[in-house]
Amino acid sequence: MGVKIVPRYGKSLKDKLYLPAIFAGMKLTMSHFARNLKDTSNIKTECYPEMQPEDITDRYRGVHRLTHRDDGSIRCVACFMCATACPADCIYIEATERKDGIDEKMPKIFKIDLLECVFCGGCVEACPRDAIRMDTGIFSFIAQRRKDFVLDKERLLSHKSFKGER
Amino acid sequence: MNIILITVIVINIIIALLFSLGGVPILVWVERRVAGFIQDRLGPNRCNIAGFRLGGLIQSFADMLKLVFKEDFRARAIKEKFVFMIAPVIVFASAFLSYMVMPFADNLTIGSQTFVMQGLPVNLGVLWFLAFAGLSIYGIILGGWASNNKYSLLGSVRAGAQVISYEASMTLALISLLVTYGTINLVDIVNFQSGLLFGFIPAWGIVMQPLAAIIFIITAFAEANRTPFDIAEGESEIVGGYHTEYSAMKFGLFFVGEYVAMSASSALIVTLFFGGYNIPWLGTTTLKEHFSTVMWVIVVALPILSYFFRGWIIKNNVWLKADDKRNNETKWLVRILVIINVAVIGVLGYFLYAGVGATTTNIAVAIIQIATFAIKLLLMNFVFVWVRWTLPRFRYDQLQDLGWRVLLPLSIANIFVTALVVVGFGV
Repeated sequence: MGVKIVPRYGKSLKDKLYLPAIFAGMKLTMSHFARNLKDTSNIKTECYPEMQPEDITDRYRGVHRLTHRDDGSIRCVACFMCATACPADCIYIEATERKDGIDEKMPKIFKIDLLECVFCGGCVEACPRDAIRMDTGIFSFIAQRRKDFVLDKERLLSHKSFKGER
Repeated sequence: MNIILITVIVINIIIALLFSLGGVPILVWVERRVAGFIQDRLGPNRCNIAGFRLGGLIQSFADMLKLVFKEDFRARAIKEKFVFMIAPVIVFASAFLSYMVMPFADNLTIGSQTFVMQGLPVNLGVLWFLAFAGLSIYGIILGGWASNNKYSLLGSVRAGAQVISYEASMTLALISLLVTYGTINLVDIVNFQSGLLFGFIPAWGIVMQPLAAIIFIITAFAEANRTPFDIAEGESEIVGGYHTEYSAMKFGLFFVGEYVAMSASSALIVTLFFGGYNIPWLGTTTLKEHFSTVMWVIVVALPILSYFFRGWIIKNNVWLKADDKRNNETKWLVRILVIINVAVIGVLGYFLYAGVGATTTNIAVAIIQIATFAIKLLLMNFVFVWVRWTLPRFRYDQLQDLGWRVLLPLSIANIFVTALVVVGFGV
């Protein structure tokens, strides 16, 4: 094993004077200040409500959506797998019989309480029919009242994938 | 008592108020924006009145309003209610009063009367500043003690120890300056600095007493409780230091007092070391003799500077959303800039055309000197802010070490050398 000698600072007169180091630091901060004052677009800050983030990846977990079948009807079969998998217990489902012959069961009520949701993606993993996804890219959900945060079936079906899938 | 006397005194008080109290929102704004730019952030820039942001200056007024309307909360454990209440007042009042002796222009002569251009016409000068700057520590100690809170008490004990260890070096550094200048009157000190050293260097304090300047500036940082010597607040160690228990406008007074104290320290540094209201190489008499040249320079320089400023505003003062009312601001600012230019050039053009009398020259020179003082003050305040966002806080023992074992011997040695030079060479 080689021994690396770490240089010790602080013994020379220049170090003990403090002032050269202080002026070097002040020069550095001044260079930042002057550069940013000359042209504020050098600052990388995203001014959020006006500038929306453009770096949302494909795997980003946003607000949920319920997917559709090819004929446009709901894909969910109300199997309760997502509600069972949910660690926050935020999914409420009431099942009903499906009469159009495509499938046997469908949800009558499908509610997700976003104030309870921890956005873990457990429901997406649990779903055997790929009926619930979190690929809407909605990262900010705003409402005035608590009950507006409870999304119902129609609202969830209306969300679109930000990648343009069904 | 005549009308001119009263007018000048009232104007003096108003200018002193503007420099001290009116400067606080600007200083808070400078602090936050400079901090942002130094750290590659934007700082406050959204707050606006009818679209006018003034680069974020409006945020300071919004914060002030917030402090005024907040609930003035006081914990039941605080028994010394009167002391608790009076402490921020002491800090604020002493900071405010220490500002009142700063001369922002040379003695103004109107007719046969001569006026001292400072807030209060007292001749105590430096002594007045030292007295009130030293008094402000009582507010901090009383506030910390009356808060009945360990952190507050720690903060005020730290502040007390800090002031003891720094005020000595500060005063001794000042003594070497007073030996050089031979006076305590700040107007005389500034006029002394309007001379030239070796015929070409302005005889500013920083040239004649560089060591005293460094010591005084360092101790002024400690005096104003600013980083790197803000251990009295030490928010990462002792919550908020002496103002932990304060809220609303009581805290606001501490806050304002801190900035006024910083500004007062800057004003004293400018007055003692950077020629005060003097423009380098242009003393008061020179200004008066060549006043028409000065006016020509202003008439030429102002539009050029304004042109570059306009370019900077148009480039940088944009709001990202196109239809936002904040985007109208640039247009109006440019218009105001043009109006200022037209007004100033119009007035100066009239004076150039019609000629100026002695009184007008005196007043105009005073205005130029006030502007010079304001610019120097702003630059010195900028240095305070700049240092704050560059240097980390000193540890408590390092601070005592620096105060007692470095600055004190240095300042005493400086007095000896200065005295030897003054007595030996008879300067």
